[in-house]
Amino acid sequence: MLSRQELKQRACAAIDRHQSEIVGVARQILDNPEPGFSEFKTAQLVADKFDEMGIERRTGLALTGVKGRIAGGGPGPRVALIGELDSLIVNEHPHADAETGAAHACGHHCQIGMMLGAIRGLTQPEVLEQLCGELVPFAVPAEEFIEVARRLQLREDKKLEFMGGKQELIRLGEFDDVDLAMMCHTASDMGEQKFAVGGTSNGHVVKYVQFLGRGAHAGSAPHLGVNALNAASFALQAIHNNREVFRGEDTVRIHGIMTKGGEAVNAVPADVRLEWRVRSATPKAVVKNSTLVDRCFKAGALAVGASVKITNIPGYLPMRHDTHLQELFRQNATALVGEARTMVIPGRRNRGGSTDMGDLSHLMPVCHPYTAGAVGSGHSKEYLITDYQTAVVNPAKIMAMVVIDLLAEGGAKGQEITSSHRPAMKKATYLRFQRERAEVIEYDGAR
Amino acid sequence: MPSTPSKDELKRWVFDAIDSKSDELINLAQAILNHPEPGYREVRTAQVVSGKLAEMGIPFRSGLGLTGVRADLLGGSAGPTMALLGELDSLIVNEHPYADAATGAAHACGHHCQIGMLLGAAIGLNQPEVLSALSGRIALIAVPAEEYIEIEYRDSLRRQGKIEFLGGKPELVKLGEFDDVNLAMMIHTTSSVDEGQLCISGTNNGTVAKKIRFIGRGSHAGGSPHLGINALNAASLALTAIHYNRETFRDADTVRVHPIITKGGEAVSAVPADVRMETFVRGRTIEAIMDANRKVDRALRAGAMAVGAQVNIQTIPGYLPLTQDRRMNEIYEPNAAALVGADRVGHVSHRTGSTDMGDISQLMPAIHPYVGGATGLGHGADYLVQDYSLAVITAAKSMAATVVDLLADGANLAGQVVAEHRPEMTRAEYLKFMRSLSSEQTFEAE
Repeated sequence: MLSRQELKQRACAAIDRHQSEIVGVARQILDNPEPGFSEFKTAQLVADKFDEMGIERRTGLALTGVKGRIAGGGPGPRVALIGELDSLIVNEHPHADAETGAAHACGHHCQIGMMLGAIRGLTQPEVLEQLCGELVPFAVPAEEFIEVARRLQLREDKKLEFMGGKQELIRLGEFDDVDLAMMCHTASDMGEQKFAVGGTSNGHVVKYVQFLGRGAHAGSAPHLGVNALNAASFALQAIHNNREVFRGEDTVRIHGIMTKGGEAVNAVPADVRLEWRVRSATPKAVVKNSTLVDRCFKAGALAVGASVKITNIPGYLPMRHDTHLQELFRQNATALVGEARTMVIPGRRNRGGSTDMGDLSHLMPVCHPYTAGAVGSGHSKEYLITDYQTAVVNPAKIMAMVVIDLLAEGGAKGQEITSSHRPAMKKATYLRFQRERAEVIEYDGAR
Repeated sequence: MPSTPSKDELKRWVFDAIDSKSDELINLAQAILNHPEPGYREVRTAQVVSGKLAEMGIPFRSGLGLTGVRADLLGGSAGPTMALLGELDSLIVNEHPYADAATGAAHACGHHCQIGMLLGAAIGLNQPEVLSALSGRIALIAVPAEEYIEIEYRDSLRRQGKIEFLGGKPELVKLGEFDDVNLAMMIHTTSSVDEGQLCISGTNNGTVAKKIRFIGRGSHAGGSPHLGINALNAASLALTAIHYNRETFRDADTVRVHPIITKGGEAVSAVPADVRMETFVRGRTIEAIMDANRKVDRALRAGAMAVGAQVNIQTIPGYLPLTQDRRMNEIYEPNAAALVGADRVGHVSHRTGSTDMGDISQLMPAIHPYVGGATGLGHGADYLVQDYSLAVITAAKSMAATVVDLLADGANLAGQVVAEHRPEMTRAEYLKFMRSLSSEQTFEAE
């Protein structure tokens, strides 16, 4: 019987042997970016890799998800190794798809590489037989909450209920047979550090907003029109006028885009649309600030006598790292890159963004550390992976080592973590909370 | 039996009497300039009027609408009553060279000349040989509070039951002082050179006034802004919302919405919890005013809703649009031309300010011509009357001459004017409408 240390050495050696394969997969995905719920090529690539590795898998989960199952040498905790399939849309990104503008400006392509790398390491027969539990390599769709109009259509067509990939997979029961989950995200703001664990992220709600006015010739009969663009513009100013009431500790982020701002300059805009997002550190603050923003949209309609339809869409929950799981990650990162290169972010420090890993973190122990290797501001055209060793190979090794810590020696550590974990919500509570967020508010400011 | 004097003879007698007192009349106007009093506070100015009437031996009644004065001159036989009006009140313009140091009151709109010309016309007409040739009566009315200012003060008078309307003429209408009046005229000074020395004018905007209070929640602006509700942000957004509606105001409606903030917070370190605004909503027609007023109300509510504040909106009837009687202007114009020359008689079609002469014009044939002689911007610190001879004496003559034309010959022309005029409203309809404009509503925060 091999020691944990020996198991880790075998796994890491295998990952090194497959380095060009896993980096190649990442680069291939970089060159074929697909936004959420349309990651068909990317999912096919994952499925093909699973097949090549002889991993039992199911596809088309929440439209594009691919879930593998690998049994260890004995029974024990079931650990999901997650990689996110989707890209963003950033037209100017050097690796953007010329047609769709899709681009991996958030490094998700590396996640698929590192997930496959970890599995390459863990499926070495002499390693796998020592693990008590199951490995669930899981390529999940749609972490980036974008293209809201398109996803609303998918919802209308009953193709999905939730618009985040993990949310939808939770609903579908695809995490019912998972006890712990981990993934690792690339980051460009690491300085000299190689890994960072800890911190938290914002929760959010997503809003699809439509102001309806009345069209009229903007030159000859503006008095007959109701300007929906003015309604929207007022609403945005109203939001800004509320910023002073946001508490620092709530890390409130309210932002959005206008997806339609009028048809023609010479017509009073009658149909103006926004995609909006309200983020805050706690679910309670999200709910409160979401109501505040709804009030601003209504005020915009009232200001000019337009009407507004606000479609509120459940967004993500704040991240709750499992400190034990996080500590395992930290220890293995320290072993790989040294203590000086491993950063521990205070638990309350909020990066401001949101991820549906936060949703999963309310149901089970998870960790969502960061690895270096990227440059440029996240979600911008400058975000590029410049060091694939750091962005793909290193985290693959750490994830594999964490799994070994969890599942070796009869899976004792894994069981200890799962049994001591107190989930913030049960799945039913989670689904109820999120479904309460889903509402359509219609307000007629002309009444 | 003496032969009946011609209108020209009557006018000559009238003009001679006015000319003989011209220095006195100009001094009187300048005395008022030096003691400006804003509306419903024109105690001393009213005493100037009543003192002069007493000196002339004309019976009068005073204290009408708090400070108004009315005296009637009786013609030789029965006939219609024609009112000549002069406005008692000043504005408040602190920087005006003739501003009252204590109150800031200043005649930056030339009303002091109106009192001079009113008394001048009285001097001209109050001659037995003139009056005996006229049929009907001349009601000389010094009216309070034409400038719609000091809304807070006047509203307190209203709440105390001392007045009902914030403008002097509406208040006098309510009191019945115009019940026996069949025609009315007054002349206002102007500084606009395009308008000539005497000017036939057209229409004016009407207006409603609004008092608005945004109620938020105070809190330490540094320590706990999240516990506050910023009423200043509500007001600021409401102003923005008003602007967002401007594109829907038609040029033809000459809508004017021009708010001020009368209270904007207590201390910089506290989230403003009580912010107050006043505004007018003016328009050329009653419909235009009502439409804009509805939009303004909505905008005010949107400001409050945006930050979760409460808003109290009080709408106060202002003035109705002015429409002038065409026949009366046709009678006035030759008199003006005879005094200043036809090429110095101007014409304007629409002015976007408001006057409570508009209210009178809804009830009876009325005219509101302008007389030059002033320079500077109306209501500005530089508005000064330079030519008192024109602004007081010539104006008085033009007014008195028009009375002669209307009331001589058995008041034949006045009878025609009244017969042809179709008033927009009766007094009862007017009061009902004005009262319907009055409202106060509080919109709760969501």
